[in-house]
Amino acid sequence: MINSNNGFFDKFGGKYVAEIIRRPLDDLEAAFNKYIHDPEFLEELRIIQRDYIGRETPLYYAPTATELLGGAQIYIKLEGLANTGAHKINNAIGQCLLAKKMGKTRIIAETGAGQHGLATAAACAKLGLECVVYMGEVDVRRQQPNVATMEMYGAKVVPVTSGSRTLKDAVNEAMRDWATNFKNTHYVLGSALGPAPFPDIVRTFQSIIGEEVKRQAAERNIDIAAIVACVGGGSNSIGVFTPFIEDKNVRLIGAEAGGIGPNVGENAARMTGNASREGIVQGYKSRFLIDEDGQSMPTRSISAGLDYMGIGPQLAALGESGRVEFTAILDKEALDAVKFFARNEGILFALESAHAGAAAMKIAKELPKDKGLVINMSGRGDKDIFITSPVFRPEKWKEFLKAELKRLENNEDIHDAEIMNK
Amino acid sequence: MNLMSHLIAGFPDAETSIAIADALVKGGANILEIQLAFSDPSADGPAIQTASTIALEKGYSTKQGLAIVKQIHERHPETPIYIMTYGSLAFTPGVENFVKMCKDAGVSACIIPDLPFDGDEGLTEACKKHGLENIPVAAPSMTKERLETMASKGFKYIYAALRAGTTGSETTIDQATLDFIDTVGKGGAKVLGGFGIRNGEQSRVLSKHVYAVVAGSVFVNIVLSNADDAEGRKKAIAEIEAKAKEIAGN
Repeated sequence: MINSNNGFFDKFGGKYVAEIIRRPLDDLEAAFNKYIHDPEFLEELRIIQRDYIGRETPLYYAPTATELLGGAQIYIKLEGLANTGAHKINNAIGQCLLAKKMGKTRIIAETGAGQHGLATAAACAKLGLECVVYMGEVDVRRQQPNVATMEMYGAKVVPVTSGSRTLKDAVNEAMRDWATNFKNTHYVLGSALGPAPFPDIVRTFQSIIGEEVKRQAAERNIDIAAIVACVGGGSNSIGVFTPFIEDKNVRLIGAEAGGIGPNVGENAARMTGNASREGIVQGYKSRFLIDEDGQSMPTRSISAGLDYMGIGPQLAALGESGRVEFTAILDKEALDAVKFFARNEGILFALESAHAGAAAMKIAKELPKDKGLVINMSGRGDKDIFITSPVFRPEKWKEFLKAELKRLENNEDIHDAEIMNK
Repeated sequence: MNLMSHLIAGFPDAETSIAIADALVKGGANILEIQLAFSDPSADGPAIQTASTIALEKGYSTKQGLAIVKQIHERHPETPIYIMTYGSLAFTPGVENFVKMCKDAGVSACIIPDLPFDGDEGLTEACKKHGLENIPVAAPSMTKERLETMASKGFKYIYAALRAGTTGSETTIDQATLDFIDTVGKGGAKVLGGFGIRNGEQSRVLSKHVYAVVAGSVFVNIVLSNADDAEGRKKAIAEIEAKAKEIAGN
């Protein structure tokens, strides 16, 4: 099961949308099916991937982690080295290039943590497209560094004040914009979910991760026993898993956000625990964190990128069939993984990706020493400094922020600030 | 003129939403479209999303919302009630179970825009079984082929969303819109036409071409633009009745 069957992956997926949004989806599906077989389009995409994104990304052998964990050889796919710092750019560039071929001049996107918005803003700047990013007001407040960067790329960031003012509300707002403006506008959905054809499109553009892993492993005779990836909506995981779905010798493991515990409102675990159920929300059928009426419920995770109520329909199907195993990683386990890989390998995981790192730390010992265990590091952790610093060095961070605020309020150059004269 | 007017069960509270239904009927509405609040109403504009959030904060989801519907039905047994909501609220308890709950509350029809007519999870069948109508929502951006397929499916009513956007923007009744309405009704369905109706002038023009005029967010906006206290709610109810009269041409 790689491609959907008319939008469905077993019983999940579909195109559960109001007719006002049907036409742009059908048009997009037709255009995607045309261009994805067009050699000119593929060559243009390949060159951008090579020269702008910086592909291929390394498959790094982690010797110290391997030794300390005492099991399979640990390899880390460094998607964090892709331009803009995460795998999100693979999809953003693919869809923006497709939109340009379709004659669209305006791009809209939703974003939660800001990584997809940032990637889309960069792709639009590179390809000369207008860019509007919808972002929940709550997220705008807590993810200022990404908002600043999106604006630097020339995007307009629109705070969404409806509903819970987070990622799902940004999706609703982007859908509304698209329903009204689809003649000149393309909606770049950021994960392998939403109504068909988005799950197929996003997986296709993200599969380059898995294709590279497969090639790199073959070139270096790495016998892969398992691949782990974090799963929010699921775009990096389905991207790295896809070329291995048919290869039953490779275990595929998805790490969800376990948050602070197993109860409702404490996590974002759709495939493990008992907080989720089957539903139809935001255009697709999958497993969601919804209540017995079908209303969306609050989610929680230290990593904003995993803090979403739904999971991509293909992953839900692969999970139910048993092909993909799921595990929930707690906030504190993810933080431990950030520290472990930073200290021992000099690699700074994003908090999202650290969920995959933490899952690998748990299972490495179960696997033979002559086999490979691949961790997809979907993004690097520079962006998390406002979240990790208050945990790892709260006092020094507080002092820094206070001094920065004072300096800004006094309108001083950093060289003249009080903190320089201590 | 037939007027289908809209309210949200439990917005701004149970008591007021019942008073709003009274005012709409008094003003001339002869069909009530009652929305069950959903957390993610992506086919609605910001006004209805805000109102839905308020209803949900007060606890008016399916069961509590339908209890209000039942009360309204008992007060106005002659006025058909159509439930409008989203697929999640029908699918999660089971589509047939949901339809049965609606029937028990006195509902005559379901409008669920994100359960498309060619993939409705058994909604049409369940409605038939329990003596309700499923009313699909047509949009002008549909391809001619898809629209004709919908029109020929034997639906008794089709809701025609008269603008390629969401609720809350201006409506102009131009030739393209009239052609669209004609196509929607081609298979014999009675056309409920709306989205964006703001005044009597618009509804008078439109009423010549449709079975019923639909007016929705105009009433929600009246509640939202009045203060959320006893006096504000009283004022809103009076304004709603006057607005319904204007739109119904009474």
